[in-house]
Amino acid sequence: MGVTLVVGTRKGLFLVHGDDERRSFEVEGPLLPGWSVNHAIVDPRDGALYACANSWVYGGTVQRSADRGQTWERSEGLGLPEESGLKLASTWHLEPGHASQPGTLWLGGEPGVLFRSDDSGSSWRVNEAVLGHETREQWSPGAGGLITHSITLDDADAERLWIGISAAGVFRTEDGGASWQPANAGTEACFFPENRFPEVGQCVHKVLAHPGRAGRLWQQNHCGVYRSDDHGASWERLDENGLPSGFGFALALDPADPDAAFVVPEEGAENRVTSDGRLGIYRTTDAGESWELIVAEEPAWAAVLREGMSFDDEAVYVGAQSGHVYALRHDEVVEAARHLPPILSVEAAAWQ
Amino acid sequence: MLLPGLLASQAGGEKRFEVAAATVGEALRALPVADLILDERGEVRPLVHVYLDGERARDLDASVGDRSRVLIVAAIAGG
Repeated sequence: MGVTLVVGTRKGLFLVHGDDERRSFEVEGPLLPGWSVNHAIVDPRDGALYACANSWVYGGTVQRSADRGQTWERSEGLGLPEESGLKLASTWHLEPGHASQPGTLWLGGEPGVLFRSDDSGSSWRVNEAVLGHETREQWSPGAGGLITHSITLDDADAERLWIGISAAGVFRTEDGGASWQPANAGTEACFFPENRFPEVGQCVHKVLAHPGRAGRLWQQNHCGVYRSDDHGASWERLDENGLPSGFGFALALDPADPDAAFVVPEEGAENRVTSDGRLGIYRTTDAGESWELIVAEEPAWAAVLREGMSFDDEAVYVGAQSGHVYALRHDEVVEAARHLPPILSVEAAAWQ
Repeated sequence: MLLPGLLASQAGGEKRFEVAAATVGEALRALPVADLILDERGEVRPLVHVYLDGERARDLDASVGDRSRVLIVAAIAGG
């Protein structure tokens, strides 16, 4: 089966269609011209296309298309309650709900907020437990703002999911979102020299739960790469095992191998370009004991954002701020697209 | 009422709307893109400028006449 890469950019949404072998790609778009698309997905349950479409003038929206981007409907009533004293600044991440909850989606946004929809994105209600979290005063915005950018589900338990907020850390719920507990033990806040391991305040850049092994999560953080084998109760640092840097944003997994993960290290927080003058994808297949380099482009001083990497059963896909998209399959890197606007997100979808 | 391009694209491709309204706020809320012009508090977004008969309208309670013309302008920004 082929793949469609749903590519969000600063200037619209693109669909990059790939063949069965991931060798030949064709670009369609732009869709949603004029909108900055932080993230877009295809809901595998019904094939609908969703986009976090943002405008510096008109604010943050969620747009839904049931016909692969030909026509769009905008979600209604997206905003924060007046008593919160907050306003929705932008939308950042969409996640289809659990397989047992058709029509349910989750949405992360700025400032550090989470929404749930139970009507396929027509309307959203804010998660009060995140909005009023007792640690919120300790949260502080990262370079992209105070953003809820990671939402990852436990396939085995519809009531358990994790969110990542920069810079607040990882939070876990085991009651479907009624309450959230910090899940940051062992992850460093290296920018707080006097309290490097606080309960909250970590700058998580991306967190993903492995779909095949219960309890295993991977995390790319401002301060390292981590793995958890206990549902996020504790984390082990992995980037000192051969990565050129612990700093990076993007993260991808292999659905068939819970010991495999992919990251794109950058020089560091003060020089956010890929390490060593090349666009290098680093892969582990031994749960982070070691990492091997796969060069996608050299020389290159690229940047891959937190939503800029995706995967399916066949390949890993990387979209850079240079506007280039690469597919990595069987150690071979293929350029899938070039000269798109700066890429904010890549998601792999399978449309029949 | 006259909308700029991006708003028009969200309003079914229509740039011009005729609405019955007593105030600027009522006129804006009657548009199918009211949520893009106004935030969740009902306030005009900071980079949206509203003009009533050629003058910048900062008061949503300002009265509009039968033949008033309301123009929505996006602030010049970005790159």
